[in-house]
Amino acid sequence: MFWKLLDDLNFIARCKKYKLGLWQCPNFLFLVMGFLTIVSMFGAYFASKNFDDETVTVVSVTTVAIVIITIGSFIIRGVEKIAEANVMKNEFISIVSHQLCGPLAAIKWNMEILENDESSNNLKLTAKQEAFLKNIKEANDKMLKLVNQLLEVNRIDEGRAVFKNDNIDLGEIIDQVILELKDLILEREIEIKKRISPDLPPIFADPDGIKTAVKNLISNAIKYSRQKGKVEIDLKLDGRQILLAVKDWGVGIPRYQHRKVFEKFFRSANEARYRTDGIGLGLYLARAIVENLGGKLWFESEAGKGSTFYISLSPAQKNL
Amino acid sequence: MSEQEKKKILIIEDDQSLQSALVEIIQQEGFETESAFDGEEGLAKARSFGPDLILLDIILPKKDGFEVLLEIKKDEATKNIPVLVLTNLEEVNNIQKALDLGANSYLVKSDFSLKEVVEKVKAILK
Repeated sequence: MFWKLLDDLNFIARCKKYKLGLWQCPNFLFLVMGFLTIVSMFGAYFASKNFDDETVTVVSVTTVAIVIITIGSFIIRGVEKIAEANVMKNEFISIVSHQLCGPLAAIKWNMEILENDESSNNLKLTAKQEAFLKNIKEANDKMLKLVNQLLEVNRIDEGRAVFKNDNIDLGEIIDQVILELKDLILEREIEIKKRISPDLPPIFADPDGIKTAVKNLISNAIKYSRQKGKVEIDLKLDGRQILLAVKDWGVGIPRYQHRKVFEKFFRSANEARYRTDGIGLGLYLARAIVENLGGKLWFESEAGKGSTFYISLSPAQKNL
Repeated sequence: MSEQEKKKILIIEDDQSLQSALVEIIQQEGFETESAFDGEEGLAKARSFGPDLILLDIILPKKDGFEVLLEIKKDEATKNIPVLVLTNLEEVNNIQKALDLGANSYLVKSDFSLKEVVEKVKAILK
Protein backbone atom coordinates (compact mmCIF):
# COMPACT_ATOMS: atom_id res chain seq x y z
CA MET A 1 0.00 0.00 0.00
CA PHE A 2 2.73 2.41 1.06
CA TRP A 3 4.87 1.44 -1.91
CA LYS A 4 1.97 1.93 -4.24
CA LEU A 5 1.56 5.46 -2.88
CA LEU A 6 5.26 6.09 -3.40
CA ASP A 7 4.92 4.77 -6.91
CA ASP A 8 2.05 7.19 -7.50
CA LEU A 9 4.27 10.02 -6.33
CA ASN A 10 7.03 9.03 -8.71
CA PHE A 11 5.69 11.52 -11.19
CA ILE A 12 8.92 12.04 -13.10
CA ALA A 13 8.92 8.42 -14.24
CA ARG A 14 5.24 8.67 -15.09
CA CYS A 15 5.62 11.83 -17.13
CA LYS A 16 8.55 10.27 -18.95
CA LYS A 17 6.42 7.23 -19.72
CA TYR A 18 3.73 9.43 -21.26
CA LYS A 19 6.38 11.41 -23.19
CA LEU A 20 5.21 14.66 -21.63
CA GLY A 21 7.41 17.55 -20.54
CA LEU A 22 7.36 18.29 -16.81
CA TRP A 23 5.31 21.44 -17.31
CA GLN A 24 2.75 19.59 -19.36
CA CYS A 25 2.42 16.69 -17.01
CA PRO A 26 -0.67 16.87 -14.80
CA ASN A 27 0.85 14.58 -12.14
CA PHE A 28 3.72 17.02 -11.58
CA LEU A 29 1.61 20.15 -11.88
CA PHE A 30 -0.90 18.98 -9.28
CA LEU A 31 1.93 18.38 -6.86
CA VAL A 32 3.38 21.85 -7.49
CA MET A 33 -0.04 23.39 -7.15
CA GLY A 34 -0.69 21.61 -3.86
CA PHE A 35 2.67 22.65 -2.50
CA LEU A 36 2.29 26.28 -3.55
CA THR A 37 -1.22 26.44 -2.17
CA ILE A 38 -0.05 25.28 1.22
CA VAL A 39 2.89 27.71 1.21
CA SER A 40 0.78 30.65 0.16
CA MET A 41 -1.93 29.82 2.69
CA PHE A 42 0.66 29.93 5.45
CA GLY A 43 2.05 33.11 3.96
CA ALA A 44 -1.37 34.69 3.96
CA TYR A 45 -1.98 33.57 7.50
CA PHE A 46 1.28 35.05 8.82
CA ALA A 47 0.83 38.21 6.83
CA SER A 48 -2.60 38.86 8.25
CA LYS A 49 -1.39 38.04 11.75
CA ASN A 50 1.72 40.22 11.74
CA PHE A 51 0.36 43.18 9.81
CA ASP A 52 -2.69 44.79 11.27
CA ASP A 53 -3.93 45.81 7.85
CA GLU A 54 -6.78 44.20 5.89
CA THR A 55 -5.16 45.16 2.60
CA VAL A 56 -2.32 42.74 3.30
CA THR A 57 -4.79 39.91 3.80
CA VAL A 58 -6.69 40.78 0.62
CA VAL A 59 -3.48 41.03 -1.41
CA SER A 60 -2.11 37.73 -0.11
CA VAL A 61 -5.37 35.83 -0.66
CA THR A 62 -5.58 37.25 -4.19
CA THR A 63 -1.99 36.19 -4.84
CA VAL A 64 -2.84 32.64 -3.76
CA ALA A 65 -5.81 32.63 -6.12
CA ILE A 66 -3.72 33.88 -9.05
CA VAL A 67 -1.08 31.22 -8.43
CA ILE A 68 -3.74 28.51 -8.39
CA ILE A 69 -5.36 29.80 -11.59
CA THR A 70 -2.00 29.98 -13.38
CA ILE A 71 -1.04 26.45 -12.52
CA GLY A 72 -4.58 25.30 -13.27
CA SER A 73 -4.24 26.67 -16.78
CA PHE A 74 -0.99 24.75 -17.23
CA ILE A 75 -2.81 21.60 -16.18
CA ILE A 76 -5.61 22.25 -18.63
CA ARG A 77 -3.10 22.71 -21.41
CA GLY A 78 -1.50 19.40 -20.49
CA VAL A 79 -4.85 17.65 -20.59
CA GLU A 80 -5.66 19.33 -23.90
CA LYS A 81 -2.46 18.00 -25.35
CA ILE A 82 -3.46 14.51 -24.30
CA ALA A 83 -6.94 14.91 -25.79
CA GLU A 84 -5.45 16.21 -29.02
CA ALA A 85 -3.11 13.24 -29.19
CA ASN A 86 -6.10 10.96 -28.79
CA VAL A 87 -7.93 12.56 -31.72
CA MET A 88 -4.77 12.42 -33.83
CA LYS A 89 -4.31 8.77 -32.99
CA ASN A 90 -7.81 7.95 -34.18
CA GLU A 91 -7.29 9.89 -37.39
CA PHE A 92 -3.95 8.23 -37.91
CA ILE A 93 -5.41 4.75 -37.51
CA SER A 94 -8.26 5.63 -39.83
CA ILE A 95 -6.02 6.99 -42.59
CA VAL A 96 -3.52 4.19 -42.36
CA SER A 97 -6.17 1.50 -42.42
CA HIS A 98 -7.94 3.03 -45.39
CA GLN A 99 -4.70 3.29 -47.29
CA LEU A 100 -3.84 -0.31 -46.42
CA CYS A 101 -7.16 -1.60 -47.77
CA GLY A 102 -6.25 -0.83 -51.37
CA PRO A 103 -2.97 -2.75 -51.62
CA LEU A 104 -4.39 -5.60 -49.55
CA ALA A 105 -7.34 -5.93 -51.91
CA ALA A 106 -4.90 -5.84 -54.82
CA ILE A 107 -2.86 -8.71 -53.36
CA LYS A 108 -6.02 -10.70 -52.69
CA TRP A 109 -7.37 -10.28 -56.22
CA ASN A 110 -4.06 -10.87 -57.96
CA MET A 111 -3.50 -14.03 -55.95
CA GLU A 112 -6.90 -15.19 -57.10
CA ILE A 113 -5.91 -14.58 -60.72
CA LEU A 114 -2.76 -16.67 -60.19
CA GLU A 115 -4.76 -19.54 -58.76
CA ASN A 116 -7.35 -19.27 -61.48
CA ASP A 117 -4.69 -19.31 -64.13
CA GLU A 118 -3.15 -22.37 -62.59
CA SER A 119 -6.37 -24.37 -62.70
CA SER A 120 -7.67 -23.12 -66.06
CA ASN A 121 -4.43 -23.61 -67.97
CA ASN A 122 -3.59 -26.89 -66.32
CA LEU A 123 -0.37 -25.49 -64.95
CA LYS A 124 0.92 -27.63 -62.18
CA LEU A 125 2.61 -25.91 -59.30
CA THR A 126 4.98 -27.94 -57.20
CA ALA A 127 3.80 -28.82 -53.71
CA LYS A 128 6.34 -26.36 -52.38
CA GLN A 129 5.04 -23.54 -54.55
CA GLU A 130 1.48 -24.34 -53.50
CA ALA A 131 2.46 -24.18 -49.84
CA PHE A 132 4.17 -20.82 -50.18
CA LEU A 133 1.29 -19.43 -52.19
CA LYS A 134 -1.03 -20.54 -49.42
CA ASN A 135 1.19 -18.80 -46.85
CA ILE A 136 0.94 -15.52 -48.72
CA LYS A 137 -2.81 -15.83 -48.98
CA GLU A 138 -3.23 -16.61 -45.31
CA ALA A 139 -0.97 -13.76 -44.26
CA ASN A 140 -2.89 -11.36 -46.44
CA ASP A 141 -6.23 -12.52 -45.08
CA LYS A 142 -4.95 -12.07 -41.57
CA MET A 143 -3.81 -8.55 -42.39
CA LEU A 144 -7.16 -7.73 -43.95
CA LYS A 145 -8.90 -8.95 -40.84
CA LEU A 146 -6.73 -6.79 -38.59
CA VAL A 147 -7.24 -3.71 -40.72
CA ASN A 148 -10.98 -4.29 -40.79
CA GLN A 149 -10.96 -4.62 -37.03
CA LEU A 150 -9.05 -1.35 -36.66
CA LEU A 151 -11.52 0.41 -38.93
CA GLU A 152 -14.47 -1.03 -37.05
CA VAL A 153 -13.07 0.14 -33.71
CA ASN A 154 -12.49 3.57 -35.17
CA ARG A 155 -16.03 3.78 -36.43
CA ILE A 156 -17.37 2.86 -33.01
CA ASP A 157 -15.06 5.31 -31.23
CA GLU A 158 -16.10 8.13 -33.48
CA GLY A 159 -19.78 7.20 -33.29
CA ARG A 160 -19.96 6.40 -37.00
CA ALA A 161 -20.84 2.74 -36.62
CA VAL A 162 -24.12 1.81 -38.26
CA PHE A 163 -26.10 -1.09 -36.88
CA LYS A 164 -28.92 -2.59 -38.88
CA ASN A 165 -30.96 -4.29 -36.20
CA ASP A 166 -33.33 -7.11 -36.86
CA ASN A 167 -34.98 -10.00 -35.00
CA ILE A 168 -32.40 -12.76 -34.87
CA ASP A 169 -31.94 -16.15 -33.32
CA LEU A 170 -28.78 -16.12 -31.22
CA GLY A 171 -28.58 -19.92 -31.28
CA GLU A 172 -28.29 -19.82 -35.05
CA ILE A 173 -25.52 -17.22 -34.82
CA ILE A 174 -23.63 -19.51 -32.44
CA ASP A 175 -23.93 -22.40 -34.92
CA GLN A 176 -22.61 -20.21 -37.74
CA VAL A 177 -19.68 -19.07 -35.61
CA ILE A 178 -18.74 -22.63 -34.65
CA LEU A 179 -18.84 -23.59 -38.32
CA GLU A 180 -16.58 -20.67 -39.25
CA LEU A 181 -14.14 -21.61 -36.50
CA LYS A 182 -13.98 -25.28 -37.38
CA ASP A 183 -10.40 -25.13 -38.66
CA LEU A 184 -9.20 -23.56 -35.43
CA ILE A 185 -11.21 -26.06 -33.38
CA LEU A 186 -9.66 -28.99 -35.27
CA GLU A 187 -6.18 -27.56 -35.06
CA ARG A 188 -6.35 -27.06 -31.30
CA GLU A 189 -8.35 -30.27 -30.85
CA ILE A 190 -10.96 -28.56 -28.74
CA GLU A 191 -14.13 -30.28 -27.62
CA ILE A 192 -17.05 -27.87 -27.99
CA LYS A 193 -19.98 -28.55 -25.69
CA LYS A 194 -23.02 -26.59 -26.75
CA ARG A 195 -26.20 -26.28 -24.72
CA ILE A 196 -28.89 -24.12 -26.26
CA SER A 197 -32.24 -23.96 -24.50
CA PRO A 198 -35.12 -24.66 -26.88
CA ASP A 199 -37.73 -22.01 -27.71
CA LEU A 200 -35.64 -18.98 -26.82
CA PRO A 201 -37.16 -15.68 -27.94
CA PRO A 202 -35.25 -13.80 -30.66
CA ILE A 203 -33.06 -10.80 -29.90
CA PHE A 204 -33.20 -7.48 -31.71
CA ALA A 205 -29.67 -6.85 -32.96
CA ASP A 206 -27.39 -6.25 -35.90
CA PRO A 207 -26.58 -9.76 -37.20
CA ASP A 208 -23.02 -8.91 -38.29
CA GLY A 209 -22.29 -7.02 -35.09
CA ILE A 210 -23.55 -9.66 -32.70
CA LYS A 211 -21.80 -12.34 -34.71
CA THR A 212 -18.51 -10.44 -34.34
CA ALA A 213 -19.04 -10.25 -30.58
CA VAL A 214 -19.96 -13.95 -30.19
CA LYS A 215 -17.12 -15.01 -32.48
CA ASN A 216 -14.62 -13.05 -30.44
CA LEU A 217 -15.68 -14.75 -27.23
CA ILE A 218 -15.72 -18.26 -28.68
CA SER A 219 -12.46 -17.89 -30.61
CA ASN A 220 -10.77 -16.47 -27.51
CA ALA A 221 -12.01 -19.43 -25.47
CA ILE A 222 -10.51 -21.78 -28.06
CA LYS A 223 -7.24 -19.89 -28.46
CA TYR A 224 -6.60 -19.61 -24.75
CA SER A 225 -7.53 -23.21 -24.02
CA ARG A 226 -4.84 -25.81 -23.77
CA GLN A 227 -4.44 -28.29 -26.59
CA LYS A 228 -7.32 -30.82 -26.44
CA GLY A 229 -9.19 -28.59 -24.04
CA LYS A 230 -12.91 -28.13 -23.66
CA VAL A 231 -15.12 -25.09 -24.32
CA GLU A 232 -18.66 -24.90 -23.05
CA ILE A 233 -21.22 -22.68 -24.73
CA ASP A 234 -24.42 -22.19 -22.84
CA LEU A 235 -27.40 -20.18 -24.07
CA LYS A 236 -30.47 -19.87 -21.88
CA LEU A 237 -33.08 -17.61 -20.41
CA ASP A 238 -31.96 -15.99 -17.16
CA GLY A 239 -34.95 -14.22 -15.68
CA ARG A 240 -36.13 -12.05 -18.56
CA GLN A 241 -32.69 -11.79 -20.14
CA ILE A 242 -31.06 -14.05 -22.68
CA LEU A 243 -27.74 -15.16 -21.25
CA LEU A 244 -24.82 -16.53 -23.22
CA ALA A 245 -21.93 -18.06 -21.28
CA VAL A 246 -18.69 -19.17 -22.93
CA LYS A 247 -16.51 -21.15 -20.54
CA ASP A 248 -13.02 -22.45 -20.99
CA TRP A 249 -10.48 -24.20 -18.77
CA GLY A 250 -7.51 -22.47 -20.34
CA VAL A 251 -4.81 -20.09 -19.19
CA GLY A 252 -7.15 -17.53 -17.61
CA ILE A 253 -6.46 -13.89 -16.84
CA PRO A 254 -4.44 -12.85 -13.78
CA ARG A 255 -6.57 -10.94 -11.27
CA TYR A 256 -4.45 -7.77 -11.42
CA GLN A 257 -5.28 -7.44 -15.09
CA HIS A 258 -9.02 -7.91 -14.79
CA ARG A 259 -9.94 -4.27 -15.02
CA LYS A 260 -7.85 -3.85 -18.16
CA VAL A 261 -9.40 -6.65 -20.18
CA PHE A 262 -11.79 -4.45 -22.12
CA GLU A 263 -9.26 -1.73 -22.83
CA LYS A 264 -8.18 -1.12 -26.39
CA PHE A 265 -4.97 -2.89 -27.42
CA PHE A 266 -4.84 -4.81 -24.16
CA ARG A 267 -3.32 -8.27 -24.30
CA SER A 268 -3.15 -10.39 -21.20
CA ALA A 269 0.29 -11.35 -19.92
CA ASN A 270 -0.50 -15.03 -19.86
CA GLU A 271 1.38 -17.99 -21.23
CA ALA A 272 -0.58 -17.94 -24.49
CA ARG A 273 0.29 -14.35 -25.30
CA TYR A 274 2.91 -15.14 -27.88
CA ARG A 275 1.21 -18.19 -29.23
CA THR A 276 -2.02 -16.42 -30.19
CA ASP A 277 -2.22 -13.52 -32.53
CA GLY A 278 -4.38 -10.47 -32.26
CA ILE A 279 -3.93 -6.84 -31.40
CA GLY A 280 -6.15 -6.64 -28.38
CA LEU A 281 -9.24 -5.24 -30.03
CA GLY A 282 -11.58 -8.23 -29.99
CA LEU A 283 -13.05 -7.81 -26.53
CA TYR A 284 -13.12 -4.03 -26.77
CA LEU A 285 -15.13 -4.37 -29.95
CA ALA A 286 -17.38 -7.10 -28.55
CA ARG A 287 -18.23 -5.05 -25.50
CA ALA A 288 -18.90 -1.90 -27.53
CA ILE A 289 -21.28 -3.84 -29.80
CA VAL A 290 -23.13 -5.51 -26.93
CA GLU A 291 -23.47 -2.27 -24.98
CA ASN A 292 -24.74 -0.55 -28.09
CA LEU A 293 -27.59 -3.08 -28.03
CA GLY A 294 -28.31 -2.24 -24.41
CA GLY A 295 -26.80 -5.52 -23.24
CA LYS A 296 -23.95 -6.41 -20.92
CA LEU A 297 -20.69 -8.27 -21.38
CA TRP A 298 -18.60 -9.40 -18.43
CA PHE A 299 -16.37 -12.24 -17.29
CA GLU A 300 -15.02 -14.31 -14.45
CA SER A 301 -11.49 -15.59 -14.65
CA GLU A 302 -8.69 -17.05 -12.64
CA ALA A 303 -5.13 -17.39 -13.89
CA GLY A 304 -4.33 -20.99 -14.73
CA LYS A 305 -7.91 -22.16 -14.29
CA GLY A 306 -9.82 -20.58 -17.15
CA SER A 307 -12.40 -17.94 -17.93
CA THR A 308 -16.10 -17.57 -18.46
CA PHE A 309 -17.40 -14.71 -20.55
CA TYR A 310 -21.04 -13.70 -20.43
CA ILE A 311 -23.30 -11.72 -22.72
CA SER A 312 -26.72 -10.76 -21.49
CA LEU A 313 -29.29 -9.25 -23.84
CA SER A 314 -32.98 -8.40 -23.69
CA PRO A 315 -35.26 -10.42 -25.92
CA ALA A 316 -36.79 -8.56 -28.85
CA GLN A 317 -40.06 -6.76 -28.13
CA LYS A 318 -42.94 -8.60 -29.69
CA ASN A 319 -45.03 -7.11 -32.51
CA LEU A 320 -42.42 -4.67 -33.67
CA MET B 1 -20.95 -16.89 -76.22
CA SER B 2 -20.54 -15.65 -79.79
CA GLU B 3 -18.70 -12.43 -80.65
CA GLN B 4 -21.84 -10.42 -81.36
CA GLU B 5 -23.49 -11.06 -78.04
CA LYS B 6 -20.38 -10.38 -75.96
CA LYS B 7 -21.48 -7.98 -73.24
CA LYS B 8 -19.28 -4.94 -72.75
CA ILE B 9 -17.99 -3.85 -69.39
CA LEU B 10 -16.26 -0.59 -68.60
CA ILE B 11 -13.92 -0.68 -65.60
CA ILE B 12 -13.14 2.71 -64.07
CA GLU B 13 -10.43 2.06 -61.49
CA ASP B 14 -7.20 4.01 -61.02
CA ASP B 15 -5.21 1.31 -59.25
CA GLN B 16 -3.29 -0.55 -61.94
CA SER B 17 -3.07 -3.83 -60.03
CA LEU B 18 -6.79 -3.90 -59.25
CA GLN B 19 -7.64 -2.86 -62.79
CA SER B 20 -5.60 -5.64 -64.41
CA ALA B 21 -6.99 -8.30 -62.07
CA LEU B 22 -10.53 -7.19 -62.91
CA VAL B 23 -9.84 -7.13 -66.65
CA GLU B 24 -8.35 -10.60 -66.51
CA ILE B 25 -11.20 -12.26 -64.62
CA ILE B 26 -13.94 -10.48 -66.54
CA GLN B 27 -12.42 -11.36 -69.91
CA GLN B 28 -12.06 -14.95 -68.76
CA GLU B 29 -15.79 -14.96 -68.17
CA GLY B 30 -16.34 -14.02 -71.80
CA PHE B 31 -17.00 -10.31 -71.52
CA GLU B 32 -15.42 -7.53 -73.53
CA THR B 33 -13.73 -4.93 -71.35
CA GLU B 34 -12.49 -1.38 -71.58
CA SER B 35 -10.39 0.29 -68.90
CA ALA B 36 -10.39 3.86 -67.64
CA PHE B 37 -7.96 5.16 -65.01
CA ASP B 38 -9.58 8.43 -63.99
CA GLY B 39 -13.01 10.01 -63.80
CA GLU B 40 -12.82 12.03 -67.01
CA GLU B 41 -11.56 9.13 -69.09
CA GLY B 42 -14.28 7.00 -67.51
CA LEU B 43 -17.02 9.42 -68.51
CA ALA B 44 -15.71 9.73 -72.07
CA LYS B 45 -15.57 5.95 -72.45
CA ALA B 46 -19.02 5.51 -70.91
CA ARG B 47 -20.24 7.47 -73.96
CA SER B 48 -17.95 6.11 -76.67
CA PHE B 49 -17.63 2.45 -75.67
CA GLY B 50 -21.33 1.97 -74.97
CA PRO B 51 -20.89 -0.50 -72.12
CA ASP B 52 -23.62 -2.81 -70.79
CA LEU B 53 -22.33 -2.29 -67.28
CA ILE B 54 -19.88 0.02 -65.53
CA LEU B 55 -17.64 -0.92 -62.61
CA LEU B 56 -16.88 2.33 -60.84
CA ASP B 57 -14.30 3.09 -58.16
CA ILE B 58 -15.06 6.04 -55.85
CA ILE B 59 -11.69 7.61 -55.19
CA LEU B 60 -10.44 8.60 -58.64
CA PRO B 61 -8.19 11.32 -60.02
CA LYS B 62 -9.68 14.29 -61.92
CA LYS B 63 -13.31 13.44 -61.17
CA ASP B 64 -14.35 11.24 -58.27
CA GLY B 65 -16.80 8.37 -58.57
CA PHE B 66 -19.72 10.40 -57.25
CA GLU B 67 -19.30 13.06 -59.93
CA VAL B 68 -18.92 10.43 -62.62
CA LEU B 69 -22.05 8.67 -61.40
CA LEU B 70 -23.98 11.94 -61.32
CA GLU B 71 -23.02 12.77 -64.90
CA ILE B 72 -23.70 9.27 -66.18
CA LYS B 73 -27.20 9.46 -64.74
CA LYS B 74 -27.79 12.96 -66.13
CA ASP B 75 -26.93 12.01 -69.70
CA GLU B 76 -29.79 10.47 -71.73
CA ALA B 77 -27.31 8.27 -73.63
CA THR B 78 -25.76 6.69 -70.54
CA LYS B 79 -28.37 6.94 -67.81
CA ASN B 80 -29.70 3.40 -68.29
CA ILE B 81 -26.33 1.70 -67.98
CA PRO B 82 -26.20 -0.20 -64.69
CA VAL B 83 -23.37 0.88 -62.38
CA LEU B 84 -21.69 -1.35 -59.81
CA VAL B 85 -19.68 0.71 -57.33
CA LEU B 86 -16.36 -0.63 -56.05
CA THR B 87 -15.27 0.96 -52.83
CA ASN B 88 -12.79 1.03 -50.03
CA LEU B 89 -14.85 3.50 -48.09
CA GLU B 90 -17.06 1.02 -46.46
CA GLU B 91 -18.88 3.62 -44.40
CA VAL B 92 -22.55 3.29 -45.02
CA ASN B 93 -22.93 7.04 -45.60
CA ASN B 94 -20.78 6.94 -48.69
CA ILE B 95 -22.37 3.81 -50.03
CA GLN B 96 -25.82 5.23 -49.44
CA LYS B 97 -24.81 8.37 -51.33
CA ALA B 98 -23.78 6.25 -54.32
CA LEU B 99 -27.04 4.29 -54.22
CA ASP B 100 -29.03 7.52 -53.98
CA LEU B 101 -27.23 8.78 -57.07
CA GLY B 102 -28.47 5.74 -58.95
CA ALA B 103 -25.83 3.05 -58.55
CA ASN B 104 -27.34 -0.44 -58.82
CA SER B 105 -25.22 -2.03 -56.17
CA TYR B 106 -21.86 -1.76 -54.43
CA LEU B 107 -19.14 -3.93 -53.05
CA VAL B 108 -16.24 -3.37 -50.72
CA LYS B 109 -13.08 -4.38 -52.55
CA SER B 110 -11.20 -5.92 -49.65
CA ASP B 111 -14.24 -7.96 -48.54
CA PHE B 112 -15.03 -9.56 -51.89
CA SER B 113 -13.22 -12.13 -53.97
CA LEU B 114 -13.04 -11.69 -57.74
CA LYS B 115 -15.42 -14.60 -58.08
CA GLU B 116 -17.99 -12.72 -56.07
CA VAL B 117 -17.44 -9.61 -58.18
CA VAL B 118 -18.13 -11.61 -61.32
CA GLU B 119 -21.22 -13.17 -59.76
CA LYS B 120 -22.53 -9.73 -58.94
CA VAL B 121 -21.83 -8.48 -62.47
CA LYS B 122 -23.69 -11.46 -63.95
CA ALA B 123 -26.62 -10.99 -61.58
CA ILE B 124 -27.04 -7.37 -62.64
CA LEU B 125 -26.77 -8.18 -66.35
CA LYS B 126 -29.33 -10.96 -66.15
